[in-house]
Amino acid sequence: MTAVAAAVGPAHGGEQAAPLFELRGITKSFPGVRALDAVSLEIRAGEVHVLLGENGAGKSSLMKVLCGAYLADQGEFFHRGEPVAIRSPADARTLGIAVIFQEFSLVPYLSVAQNIFLGREPRGKIPGSVDHKRMHARARELLDRLGLEVDTRALVHTLGVAQQQLVEIAKALSQEARILVLDEPTAALSERETERLFSIIQRLQSQGVAMIYISHRLAEVFRVGGRITVLRDGRKVGSLLPASTTPDELVSMMVGRKVDTSYARRYCESPGEVVLEVKGMGAVNGVSGVDLVVRAGEIVGLSGLVGSGRTEVARALFGADRVTAGEVRLLNRSREGGPDRAVRSGMALVPEKRKQEGLALIRSVADNILLASLKRIFPRGWFSPAKGIGVASERIRQLRIATPGPRQMVQFLSGGNQQKVVVAKWLSADAKLIIFDEPTLGIDVGAKEEIFALIDQLVQRGAAVLMISSELSEVVKVCDRAYVMRDKRVVGELARAELSETNLLRLAMHDA
Amino acid sequence: MSTLTLPRLALSAEFRTIVQRLLAVLALCIVLSVLSGAFLTVGNLVNVLRQAALIFLLASGLTLVILTAGLDLSIGANVGLSACLAGSVIQATGSPLLGAAVGLGSGCAIGLGNGLLVTVLRLPPFIATYGMLWVVHGLTYWFMAGATIHGFPPAFRALGSGYWLSVPIPVYLMFAFLAVGIGFARYTTWGQEIYAIGANPVAARLSGIPVNRRLVLVYTVSGAMAGLASLIFLARLNSAEGDIGEPLTLPAIAAVLIGGTSLFGGVGTVSGTLVGALILTLVLNGMNLLAIDANWQPLVTGVIVILAVSLDVLTHRGGSASR
Amino acid sequence: MLVVLGAGFASSSTGFLDGANLANIGMQSTILLLLALPMTLIMLTEGIDLSMGAVLTLACVVLAAIAVKTGSVTLALAGALALGAAFGFANGALVAWLGLPPFVVTLGTLGIASGLALVTTGAQSITGVGDDVVYFYAGKLAGIPVPLVLGAAAYLAMHGLLYHTRFGTYVFALGGNREALRLAGVRVNAYLIGVYVLGGAMAGFAALLLTARMSAAHPTAAIGMEFDAIAAVAIGGTSFEKGNGWLFGTVLGVLLVGVLRNGLNLLAVPSSLQVAAIGVLIIAALVIESFKNT
Repeated sequence: MTAVAAAVGPAHGGEQAAPLFELRGITKSFPGVRALDAVSLEIRAGEVHVLLGENGAGKSSLMKVLCGAYLADQGEFFHRGEPVAIRSPADARTLGIAVIFQEFSLVPYLSVAQNIFLGREPRGKIPGSVDHKRMHARARELLDRLGLEVDTRALVHTLGVAQQQLVEIAKALSQEARILVLDEPTAALSERETERLFSIIQRLQSQGVAMIYISHRLAEVFRVGGRITVLRDGRKVGSLLPASTTPDELVSMMVGRKVDTSYARRYCESPGEVVLEVKGMGAVNGVSGVDLVVRAGEIVGLSGLVGSGRTEVARALFGADRVTAGEVRLLNRSREGGPDRAVRSGMALVPEKRKQEGLALIRSVADNILLASLKRIFPRGWFSPAKGIGVASERIRQLRIATPGPRQMVQFLSGGNQQKVVVAKWLSADAKLIIFDEPTLGIDVGAKEEIFALIDQLVQRGAAVLMISSELSEVVKVCDRAYVMRDKRVVGELARAELSETNLLRLAMHDA
Repeated sequence: MSTLTLPRLALSAEFRTIVQRLLAVLALCIVLSVLSGAFLTVGNLVNVLRQAALIFLLASGLTLVILTAGLDLSIGANVGLSACLAGSVIQATGSPLLGAAVGLGSGCAIGLGNGLLVTVLRLPPFIATYGMLWVVHGLTYWFMAGATIHGFPPAFRALGSGYWLSVPIPVYLMFAFLAVGIGFARYTTWGQEIYAIGANPVAARLSGIPVNRRLVLVYTVSGAMAGLASLIFLARLNSAEGDIGEPLTLPAIAAVLIGGTSLFGGVGTVSGTLVGALILTLVLNGMNLLAIDANWQPLVTGVIVILAVSLDVLTHRGGSASR
Repeated sequence: MLVVLGAGFASSSTGFLDGANLANIGMQSTILLLLALPMTLIMLTEGIDLSMGAVLTLACVVLAAIAVKTGSVTLALAGALALGAAFGFANGALVAWLGLPPFVVTLGTLGIASGLALVTTGAQSITGVGDDVVYFYAGKLAGIPVPLVLGAAAYLAMHGLLYHTRFGTYVFALGGNREALRLAGVRVNAYLIGVYVLGGAMAGFAALLLTARMSAAHPTAAIGMEFDAIAAVAIGGTSFEKGNGWLFGTVLGVLLVGVLRNGLNLLAVPSSLQVAAIGVLIIAALVIESFKNT
């Protein structure tokens, strides 16, 4: 690795010795996790600097430190060689740093020009008035710099995603941004729009704007050029130039996280009957051509990068988003209808957004545990609080949920215990197929192992599990098989023997 | 960070709310008995209970709606139309039973309409029921054409002004429906599901609860309770006019909010609403006894609504800011 | 839609296309327009003001009382404007600072304002406001009825405010993306309160025309008028979501409600059924709007 790091040549361009911006030894910790560990980075004017890394490698943390959303624990910043501090988003803005997020900060029913100058409208002669002429002229200038031909008077909601993104970039440029951070800018763009974005990036480069480009798509990384920095586990693995590397080398730099071997389950040798069978499924949320098979006793991984369509598959299977094509069969019967029918036919979903979608935070632990199985436990519709508390207490013991009692409000529990409550909900419902969407997100290490043990218990008892995870090492460690998704489609399947981080990442990233 | 606040139990919080509100009732009673000698008389107290009964019946259905984080602004107009329809049927056929069936039926139908607007057409509840308010209001005035219906058979009037063991019939109804309400909310699976929908509709849906069907149910129940209240009101007044229900909406909302039910859903009790109805009635009754102009009533109710909703926001927002 | 309706009424009632009748529609619609214009702005911020009719009523009472006592229209109008603005401020402050839901807050202030109107008058009308006040409805300026002049002026002023000032831009942003506005360094709460104050003040201004029209103040004169205003705004294509709407649509909506009421009157349809019809229209307009957006 050190050889790779040393391979970085002098920066091209090389107008000045001091880079436009420099980060040195940036460290940021969260309880239980070191998100960034002494990361250093140089950004030069007119350069595109690509940040590469697996999910959770530290890219977004670094970005948030840079734009002032997070305060770094340690480390220094230099602007044109001068030491500076970034303590707030305002600090970042005065330094000319702007982040183009995937969710835009635009007002839908205002014009392009009004959005660009929101809060900084050119003032007219009458107090309080806006000088529309000047505003549109200046907006036109900015859009011309980007080569965007859209009318400055067009309302933003009438524009496509790609154009909205460019308006967002124009907004940043109007605030004298010299460093643009582009977070997965091509995630929602078509091929043609992507090409156009690249030509705009080149144009901005020639105007001396520096860009940090975060992407999962390896082909793009070579296309935009510039230096590539690979992060892993919050550390910088290396910095290199695209001319001197290959996609395979980049993949091998990204994988190889420390795998925790303290827990290894007995993998399923002879799976039981087919529980879930999906053929050519497409849904309103954008996934298409999905084929899956999950058998009793198996933990099947559904891997892929963030945004590749894994959560969408889960939602479609569960009936939360409408299926428009193909077939979903559960225990050899066609599955139709909404989530209520899914639950009745023996399906369960542990959603990724635990607090927003999995739990009623202001209700008690017992209420939440009973939520999916009220009909089962009280078939006549008469609810008995005493019996409910009894059932819930049993689950609390079984899953060792740390709570003062079943009447405790769920919002006062820790993340790991909240997740156990969601799992407990489905234990009571006696589900045949359980879909876990990022079951260990935001949970500390000890609780993670407990969650895995729980999932293992479920399959031991004959249930089938489909597990979505962004942590490649988790998929390798826990799953019997795994499907890999890319661009809203299932692009491959890996058997237990082939299951490795490198193989998963290759399938997930390679556009070829 | 929340380890210190851990021993806050859901049940005790609910219990505490009720006790607080009951203390307010007691305090109000003491103040009123000091201010007016007429307060602590059997006749007046019976009167208070009877007035509270009407507001409670209307507010109990509304409580369920608000528990789902919804709102029903059409209940007052619903009372008006249901009373007028029931009244004319009784006069036309002479059958109180048929009239009562029509009143309840129209109440249910309006509630069902609200439920469908909120679920199938996905309109925000306050807009859907606000539009419904005026549709119903218009229909009532058209139907009545400015006329007043009065004079009903004594058997029917007993429903509103009759006594049994020197306690007004509506008071029995109030306690009966208090029991039904508590039973439904606490001791049925549907009740549990309604709380869950109010606390987090997404989680409820993803837990397999048929959210839309339950919402239609609560709006229909709210409409049905308005229908029932209209019958009692009709029997009590012994006459029906187009606008009799309008002034009831605000007091009913006030009673629910004072009773500790949160506009944001998932928190509240039917018994709290009873206490809320009592507090509101005591305030209005006190104003009566102190010979304060009846025109002050909407003003005072308005102030109470704003105070109650402020209290709701300050207590419930603080606790669940992460939502 | 307006044209179709107009043609329909013209063919079914001979009195409709009468010049006097059309002028009448315009005059009657002016008061509604004065409420519907600021209601548009409030609804653009994803809010609502249910107290507007009651505030207008109370403002009429204040205006008439001052006019009777002092004989000064200026003082009377100032009083009405101040009262309206005060109610608007209360609504806005409760919505912005405490984060209370607008419809419940304004339902509460509706009760307060309508109660005050009853209490201060003892439920009696105030008469004898004088010709200076009546002029604002019955008078003519350069041959044009004064209310039409005032209505046009109010529209132009509101149009300028909404489309040519920072305030107007922020009104759209308050509903469309409040967080973006906050991040742009704008004092969001101040502008939100401003919108409600404008609504109250316009209700105060409308009191001048309403009192002039009836040459008296009735303690329940405009109760429920916010409903016609909300209907006009919704029919005019302003939805409750994302700051989606346009001001001229509200003018069309007001005319539509005016024409509908007038036409149905000529056809001898009782006003109660008109209310029901408009209620259905509100729901229909919002449903159409929400389907257009999905």
